[in-house]
Amino acid sequence: MNESFDDVHQLAGAYVIGTLTLTERQAVARRISLEPVLRSAVEDWEERLLPLASLVEEQDPSAQLWPRIAHDLRARPALMPGGWRAWLNDLRFWRTLAASGFSAAAVLAALLAIRPPAVGPAFMVVLVDPQARTPGWVVQASLDRNLTLTPLSAVDVPSQKALQFWTKAEGWSGPISLGLVKPGQSLKLALDKLPPLQPNQLFEITLEPATGSLTGRPSGPVLYIGKAVKII
Amino acid sequence: MPLAYPYRLSTGSYFLRLPMTLPTDPNAFDYDAALRSCALGDRQALKSIYVQDSRRLLGIALRIVRQHQLAEDVVHDAFVNIWNKAASFDASRGAGRGWIYSVVRHQALNLVRQREHDVYVDADEVETIQQQNGEVVGDPFELNASLGRLRDCLAHLDNAKRNSILFAYVDGCTHSEIAQRLNAPLGSVKAWVKRGLAALQECMG
Repeated sequence: MNESFDDVHQLAGAYVIGTLTLTERQAVARRISLEPVLRSAVEDWEERLLPLASLVEEQDPSAQLWPRIAHDLRARPALMPGGWRAWLNDLRFWRTLAASGFSAAAVLAALLAIRPPAVGPAFMVVLVDPQARTPGWVVQASLDRNLTLTPLSAVDVPSQKALQFWTKAEGWSGPISLGLVKPGQSLKLALDKLPPLQPNQLFEITLEPATGSLTGRPSGPVLYIGKAVKII
Repeated sequence: MPLAYPYRLSTGSYFLRLPMTLPTDPNAFDYDAALRSCALGDRQALKSIYVQDSRRLLGIALRIVRQHQLAEDVVHDAFVNIWNKAASFDASRGAGRGWIYSVVRHQALNLVRQREHDVYVDADEVETIQQQNGEVVGDPFELNASLGRLRDCLAHLDNAKRNSILFAYVDGCTHSEIAQRLNAPLGSVKAWVKRGLAALQECMG
């Protein structure tokens, strides 16, 4: 992680316009799912250059194209719009809890007590400030191993510093970086390169140099920490 | 006068064309809502995206992969991907239309880069083709008003930088292919792309 800000934006730009080689493209694609800064730089370039789509002449697809696509769509169990997932996503609920001083344990106990009908296993982690013992972030991981990190409150990060997100399961030799996190912003990650989530898997956010830990392991103080709890 | 675009793609049969059509109004279609419905398993929502944008998306893929059947394969794979990944689309991070277009472009780029990887054209050969191709390229891209700020920023770049970036983005050209089209050394093209990107970023913020 010794890339400068400009390097990241150059790399993102080259990735989006397409001048990277196959190997370089694959490396960037892997990093995007783990590194919010790179992903955000790529998204910026996608958006900047999108108007160029209008330079291209439209083409008529063959009559078989849509039937081919429709044939290859996997059925998807319909998620309940609204329902408990929407409720879990309701930030106001979490902020109210955080403000009222509920402990993370109380949050989880409440969740588990009123859990809805089974929709399949998933994990939830409340990341707690170990000093103040207040919840700061919520991690939700779904069955398809998409992970969402949601802030419950704003965090002040000193200049030249960044928040870095890590996870470690039992038996791993050390924590793995899930990338840098912007204070007060939610983050979505695909964990498809990692082994399946385990109960008690550790998640933590540490304070690191602006470009992330230089050692590849957490090197600064732990600001938030929590363990995964299987729900449903 | 054919002077405006006096070169041919290496596939031989397909001439670069200058489309002048304006885009359909993307504001009239709610891409984010359609993607949310896809995430909930609504196939009609995916079909509505297809009806709205498949012609332009196929055009984009064709410019990059340069064969109609391959371009259809790209659009096929991209729509299956969009279906599978719709739940991971986050409207708070960007508009649905851009996300859909980026899925198609990356699918197309991955395919051509994979093919180049399989059939490697060595640098000497490119050098020879360059020496045989002495034509001076004019301004192959007509930037219309629908590009908005991007048009102004591209207009501030010199021809070499602008065309390098456009050949890459629109036609999926590698550095070597751009060098061939602009009849310029590979090193210069790499520098133009790099400085062009930096200047564009500066200009667009």
